[in-house]
Amino acid sequence: MPLGSLVVLVVGGIAGIALLTHVLGWSQPRQLLTEEDASRGWLREFPDTTVTSVTLCANGAAALIASDAGPGLVWPMGADTSARFLTGAQVTVRKDRLIVRLQDYTAPRITLRLGPDDCAAWRDRIRGTT
Amino acid sequence: MTDQLTYPDVVQLAVPFFIAAILIELAWIAIKGRGGRYETRDAVTSLIMGAGNVVSGIVLGFIAWGFFLFLWALTPLDLGTGWWVVALCFVLDDLRYYWVHRFGHRIRWVWASHVNHHSSQHYNLTTALRQTWTGTFTFMMIVRAPLILLGFHPAMVLFVGGLNLIYQFWIHTEAIGKMPRWFEAMMNTPSHHRLHHGRNPRYLDANYAGVFIVWDKMFGTFVPEQEDEKVDYGLVHNLGTFNPIRVAFHEWVGIWRDVTQPGIRLRDRLMYAIAPPGWSHDGSRDTSEGIKAKHLARNPEDADTPGFPSGSKP
Repeated sequence: MPLGSLVVLVVGGIAGIALLTHVLGWSQPRQLLTEEDASRGWLREFPDTTVTSVTLCANGAAALIASDAGPGLVWPMGADTSARFLTGAQVTVRKDRLIVRLQDYTAPRITLRLGPDDCAAWRDRIRGTT
Repeated sequence: MTDQLTYPDVVQLAVPFFIAAILIELAWIAIKGRGGRYETRDAVTSLIMGAGNVVSGIVLGFIAWGFFLFLWALTPLDLGTGWWVVALCFVLDDLRYYWVHRFGHRIRWVWASHVNHHSSQHYNLTTALRQTWTGTFTFMMIVRAPLILLGFHPAMVLFVGGLNLIYQFWIHTEAIGKMPRWFEAMMNTPSHHRLHHGRNPRYLDANYAGVFIVWDKMFGTFVPEQEDEKVDYGLVHNLGTFNPIRVAFHEWVGIWRDVTQPGIRLRDRLMYAIAPPGWSHDGSRDTSEGIKAKHLARNPEDADTPGFPSGSKP
């Protein structure tokens, strides 16, 4: 296959599939609306820990976890979740977004759209626990 | 010797088929409301990884090709180009795939390349295309050396490898439940391969086959999909980014950080590169054996069931 045709096919294919999935509503991020859901997301990653408390944000964009192994964060990765301990986390607020920076190549910068009230409260809370 | 033998680049030729099949799977899921899940950023990341794999092949392919031509010049054997030679080459190359794939899960240096294929939390046809950019650096081309030294032409070896890859495309789907029993017994299928992408302790390090599942049955790594345990797709520690650069290189960065950390022995540095993923000098991380053992400690009723070592019942 000529290289030009291959490039057109690949670029067009990626763009078309991206557009199609978006139009079908499959770009909506997962929400964490219950403590059980957030705990499940945490224990998926860290099954050897025990969750002692869960703090949800108002819009379901993330959850703060207190565990017997330390504080952590669960957040949506597309339709799924990921989770990390907050050891050494740097937090800043930019408008309605909380930006969490970790020393972790696989999750270096987590941007959470929490809303202004939750942002300030979570920033203080994370700074107080890490 | 048949030095000028050429075969079509079947993987490139299959690109239109890949796109068409993805669109059909998408339509099936959208219309039926079952048979899998798609998410935009996940799918785009997988597709970019696939495109990057093609680019990496174009840029770095000459290294493996040069090595194969060197071996071809060395060997006095030439099996020719008969159809049975191609068929035999396909079967033996699939055996080669089994071992390369097994090394890919058991040697961290090779896992660093293969890990990105397992980094999606979804399992659909785009996941099949989430391929490595760094395969050349694993040096696993060495495992193909016996085929060439036995007299299979390098072009034929690459041709059957392409066919192998194309076969594996269609098994990355939840839209197909089980194939007929005879087919499931011999061939790698969506059911067998789904659990290979699972992060459930039961499903770790199982079903390495490419085309013929018989290799797993021969070498003791076969686990059947369990109806009562849904596959949880992804990595033991899932990524927190869709950035393709980070997806492609994160385990290499992890190796670099571990190997260069201060205060450990030379042997530990080597082990961080070649021991199974999860190995650590201080035991602070878990290999798949450790994960299975901890699971059994929490769930002793799973002892001696598929995916856990026999004799694990307390």
